[in-house]
Amino acid sequence: MLALPRSSRRAGGLIGWLNNAHVRAILYQVLTAAAIVLLGWYLVHNTVANLDARGMSVGFGFLDASAGFGISFTLIPYQEGDTYSRVFLVGIANTLLVAIISIILATVLGLIIGLARLSDNWLIRTLSRTYIEILRNTPLLLQIIAWFFGVFNLLPRPRDSLSWLDVFALNNRGFYMPAPLPGPGFEFVIAAFVLAVAFAVGLKRWAHRRQDATGQIFPALPVGFAAIVFVPLAVFWVLGAPLAWEMPELRGFNYQGGLSVPPSFCALVVALSVYTSCFIAENVRSGIQSVSKGQHEAAASLNLKPSWTMRLIILPQALRVIIPPTISQYLNVTKNSSLAIAIGFPDLVSVWMNTSLNQSGQAIPIVAMTMAFYCAASLTVSLIMNQYNRRVMLKER
Amino acid sequence: MSEPELVFRPKPARPAPAGTLGVIGWVRHNLFSSPANVLLTVLGAYAAYVVVSAVLDWAVFNAVWEADSRRECLDMVGRSGACWPGVAAWFWNLIYGLYPKDEVWRINLGFLVLVAWVVPLWLERVRSKVAIGLSAVLVYPFLASYFFLGGEKGLIWSLLIAFSLLTFVWVLATSVVERRTGRTLAETLLARVGAADADPAHQRRVLLWSALAALVVAYAVVWLWRLPETPTNDWGGLFLTLVISGIGITFSLPAGVLLALGRRCDLPVISVFCTVFIELFRSVPLITILFMFTTMLPLFLPVGVEVDLLVRAIVAVCLFASAYMAEIVRGGLQAIPRGQYEAAAAMGLGYWRSTALIIMPQALKIMIPTIVGQFIGLFKDTTLVSIIGLFDLLNMARAVGEDTRWLGLFIEPFFFVTLLYFVFCFAMSQYSISLERKLDTGHRR
Repeated sequence: MLALPRSSRRAGGLIGWLNNAHVRAILYQVLTAAAIVLLGWYLVHNTVANLDARGMSVGFGFLDASAGFGISFTLIPYQEGDTYSRVFLVGIANTLLVAIISIILATVLGLIIGLARLSDNWLIRTLSRTYIEILRNTPLLLQIIAWFFGVFNLLPRPRDSLSWLDVFALNNRGFYMPAPLPGPGFEFVIAAFVLAVAFAVGLKRWAHRRQDATGQIFPALPVGFAAIVFVPLAVFWVLGAPLAWEMPELRGFNYQGGLSVPPSFCALVVALSVYTSCFIAENVRSGIQSVSKGQHEAAASLNLKPSWTMRLIILPQALRVIIPPTISQYLNVTKNSSLAIAIGFPDLVSVWMNTSLNQSGQAIPIVAMTMAFYCAASLTVSLIMNQYNRRVMLKER
Repeated sequence: MSEPELVFRPKPARPAPAGTLGVIGWVRHNLFSSPANVLLTVLGAYAAYVVVSAVLDWAVFNAVWEADSRRECLDMVGRSGACWPGVAAWFWNLIYGLYPKDEVWRINLGFLVLVAWVVPLWLERVRSKVAIGLSAVLVYPFLASYFFLGGEKGLIWSLLIAFSLLTFVWVLATSVVERRTGRTLAETLLARVGAADADPAHQRRVLLWSALAALVVAYAVVWLWRLPETPTNDWGGLFLTLVISGIGITFSLPAGVLLALGRRCDLPVISVFCTVFIELFRSVPLITILFMFTTMLPLFLPVGVEVDLLVRAIVAVCLFASAYMAEIVRGGLQAIPRGQYEAAAAMGLGYWRSTALIIMPQALKIMIPTIVGQFIGLFKDTTLVSIIGLFDLLNMARAVGEDTRWLGLFIEPFFFVTLLYFVFCFAMSQYSISLERKLDTGHRR
């Protein structure tokens, strides 16, 4: 056995002490913490000095002051004299509206393009690949600006607007559609819808349990679907159709009435959904390709119908690969909607971090609140994703 | 007694049925295999024809190639054709921004130096690729600042530039020597001065002194050959886009590695700090970070200190890119099997040496395609600096339509700029795909 001389094991009190892993770990952390604290103190010190020099104070008091500027498009009611806190809410509502509509459109488009990418038709495959490569290799901001200046701004004037069945109208002032005006009793229709959905879910569960127990199959899917569609419709007719539509009409120089969105909204939604659809399409493709060929063959050898193979064998395995990156794309849509500022759509960043910040000069609280919103959105999404991942994780033995 | 020998003679294979071979077979199989496919093919072909012919008509056949103003273009073809003279008149600005015309050679030379610096990475028989690659990331920026920015520099900065210049000469000489002789530059130099067999201490002394002498020469060059300063306000166009994305990726690589190591380490203070930094910067959009730095950096710095707008944008882009790079590196580190860490520890390597010699090289190799993808993303994201008022490629294209002579000319410059972005990004993504194939050693688990 090799015995070290005592002296060399204990060599140099300080050096030996510094070579102790435990001591070192504490030392590193203390140094890091000290550096962070020093940096923070330096920043705070400078900020206080700067604010003093400009005669400003920091606080959330300004939130109750009147903002005093108008917003061109608001989802929730807003008037020019409303407070800054209202502006914040308006911005969040607009951002979420753009994000949700873009997410829905992008998912539908991405699904179609992704399936086209797997088509056995060479032309369709090539066209969808070209679509994906062109759109995902050019900057999103460029696409948003191009849609805005190149398409929605060059549309005809309201008088010559493109209209579809005189119900929808599209012109250089925006997109117009009828507004629903629910009459008395319409809430019963909604209640019927909710009940029908609950019934369909329950039916599905019951059918599943019965199949497990007896092996008998009940067509829960078509029955449930029929219930969701026809029960509310029946209630609707029984109550005498309590829903009117307010049509947009051309009066003077512009359309009045109905629901409308400005061209910047259309440009933003179209650009975001087209851009994101490429990434979703690639997710769909890689997900379906990730299911091994043996699974198809095993399903075929069990004599499953092709539709069953897709629904029971392929999709559950493909979705496990498709959904996590698609959810992070949804988060990206929410973040990318902040590019609205380039074309003047009043989203959170535009009305809050730009207009309100310039008007009130309260940089610190405004930046902090904006970041808090996006962090909250991102945390929510990662929570959902972790939940999902835990649920679908392969149960390996 | 010879029996007739039985020889098995296979009949020649019959030719495949007509219509499954050659062009016809391919067309049948890939385009017209079923009625639904016939319909899809016809619809697809029609859609492709409409789009391609519309674009070609507008961009080529109906386009105006010579005119002096947009009015002239509109008089000739109206809106049915593109007006390319406007883009041609602004071409210089789209590439170089407002950089003084007499000084543009500095930009060109700077990028040529970069190309010469990294070309040896793709040459065979060059052995010092790691050193060359690292020096391109860590040392080249000083030389670039000398060319692009110019102006008076302090002693230390000039020394760094001289060192960078010297490194460039070293890269060139090393790659030439190694390609020619297969030996390193140091061995060749020592053989030249007749010290090939001298003792190592003497050899080291010779090399050190010659390096120092070369550094002095390089310093003299930098000191004598001063370039006039070009303020960053004049920077713009493709040049600015490349500078911002280049600095972003250069900074984010080492910073991302450090952050990822910090996030994975056992020391709670460091790991929490790195995690908070990464998650914070990843969860907010880049534009909010840019706004934050343009509005809050002046508050954070001592009273009276002014920071260039470009510098603020670059700081924001760098921090943003580092957070994303850290997650890429973390992914690469997670893909390294535990056995590698244990083997390194069993060899008696400490944390830093096992990380630098065993773990990182393998992790970086896995990460290269993702890093290229991240670079594409960053290159596209630099367009956001146009929102805070920098004249990058996108904003320059927008400025064309605000020129009085070319008033309203938006689509043509955007088309041109889109093409530029597409060429850059597509080339990079194809390169990353080919790298992925080349690096796939089949060890993936």
